[in-house]
Amino acid sequence: MRSASSKDASAFLAFDRSGLAMRASHVLVVILVVAAFGFAAVGAALNDTFYLRLATEALIFGGFALSVDILLGYTGLLSLGHALYFGFGAYVSALVLKETPSFWAAMGAVLAATLVFGFITGLIANRVRGVYFALVTFGIAQVAAKAVYNTRALGASDGLIGIPIVPINLGFMTVMSNAPVAFFLFTLVFVILLYVAAAYLLDTSFGRILGALRVNEHRVPFLGYSTHRARLSIYVFAAIIAALSGALYPMLRGFVSPELMFFTTSGNAVITVVIGGVGTLAGALYGSVILTVLKSVIGTMTEHHLIVIGILFMAVVIFLPKGLMGVIRPRIARRLRGGAR
Amino acid sequence: MTPALQVEGLGVAFGGIRAVDGVSFMAQRQAITTVIGPNGAGKSTLFNLISGQIPPHTGRVALDGVDRTGAPPHLMQRAGLGRSFQITNLFFELTVFENLQLAAQRLEPPRQMLRRIGHGEASLQRVGELVERFSLAAKLGELAGALSHGEQRRLEIAVALAAKPSVLLLDEPTQGMSHGDTADTARLIRDLSRDVTILLIEHDIGLVMDISDHIVVMHQGRMLAEGAPPEVRANPAVKAAYFGDASC
Repeated sequence: MRSASSKDASAFLAFDRSGLAMRASHVLVVILVVAAFGFAAVGAALNDTFYLRLATEALIFGGFALSVDILLGYTGLLSLGHALYFGFGAYVSALVLKETPSFWAAMGAVLAATLVFGFITGLIANRVRGVYFALVTFGIAQVAAKAVYNTRALGASDGLIGIPIVPINLGFMTVMSNAPVAFFLFTLVFVILLYVAAAYLLDTSFGRILGALRVNEHRVPFLGYSTHRARLSIYVFAAIIAALSGALYPMLRGFVSPELMFFTTSGNAVITVVIGGVGTLAGALYGSVILTVLKSVIGTMTEHHLIVIGILFMAVVIFLPKGLMGVIRPRIARRLRGGAR
Repeated sequence: MTPALQVEGLGVAFGGIRAVDGVSFMAQRQAITTVIGPNGAGKSTLFNLISGQIPPHTGRVALDGVDRTGAPPHLMQRAGLGRSFQITNLFFELTVFENLQLAAQRLEPPRQMLRRIGHGEASLQRVGELVERFSLAAKLGELAGALSHGEQRRLEIAVALAAKPSVLLLDEPTQGMSHGDTADTARLIRDLSRDVTILLIEHDIGLVMDISDHIVVMHQGRMLAEGAPPEVRANPAVKAAYFGDASC
């Protein structure tokens, strides 16, 4: 063990389990990115469209699952209505793109609108704790989804269709949203940037307060931190991550529908995080890939693929309660700790 | 000199029962003021009122001469009040280092909140001081939940002290400790009182008489007496209600 003197304060970071765990998550995400580039290369060589677009969808829902993990895994907040923000981002993006096919205008509008919308709904949801929080988030999402479902201006039950192909101007190149390989790689970079933003925030002093909220919320105020402010801040942040992910959906599919806000979408994200590993961030991305592949493969065999997903969910909860990355990540963290000493 | 902590007519009732009723006292700087009384006297409720966990129905609380009545716990902490709990109240799933760091990062400027903890020199420095003072160097990487009871009680005090409060509320810090650990903790508290004003709840009367500068006696939610240890020990009302006539 290292000498613990004040002269060598930075040596203490070897005892920072949360920081080590986050670095282990980075390793897992790097592996995923390398695999994704390999997949893109194979897809490009085979001139594939179907699997590349399926993988793009997996990444988009992976970004959404990230936001659920920020709340559930790092703050201890189970939202059963987080699809509200994913769908909100998708609708705002679709409305803007129908007016002007500008990626940056859509993203700017989604960011600004979600900041306001997330703050207002966050004020309501964060008035309660525990199971009541889950129920209130569920209720807010259901109300909003039904309102969208019955609003003719938003396409009602049909949703919004006819979203144009979007040229994404990156300065040095332009990515077309209908180009399978290019849009897949763009989505990969976009979702990884969301991961980096989330991972950075969770590894800051503010992020440690969130971890403390998850472990022992009642002690936190006596350390000088407002629990309400911290919960509301992370709620809005998670809403923005979800909405920015959702904003890519109409660019991929060319339409949005009220189902994006429904409980099934929220529930799928929770299942994704549980299968991938709650509180790992990387698990949200892996879980999304696994779930999307399983749905696709099993879906070709039977229309009752949800039964298989349900059984898989139960098996993971019983036999791998920490999820796949929850098993793998500690091993990487141990290696990193060994290397740090 | 303005007292570090001033309590005037503090009171709260639960369903018609006055758990704390009109309690007034002052805690002088760099001194140990101890609140004693039988179980149910209202000592922990008094701590909850002072630290903002329960808003008082009557009276006022002043820290360093500034009225803080009704301020929530996080604002009381920022005003300079630290507290420990009767039942160990730590982040058991975090390491000893993470517990200390979390509490010490309050010393950092606000901009540090959005920076990685490795950049917070003041908090890491403070963790170093606490580790030495509380002999926790060998336990830094262990989960707080895996520590022995005595170590957890020490860590509880260290966490309460991390943000350098001017007033420290210690609620039965020696509860459940062995004789040796109790003596060590008594020495530690005496040592701490050189830097911070201490308000203590303690049941070990020998320890109380040994380390206290001022004693407040509570009985059935009210203040029965206060004074220096010899005065309290000689007080007939205290003898009757708390020590028992024959024992003093």
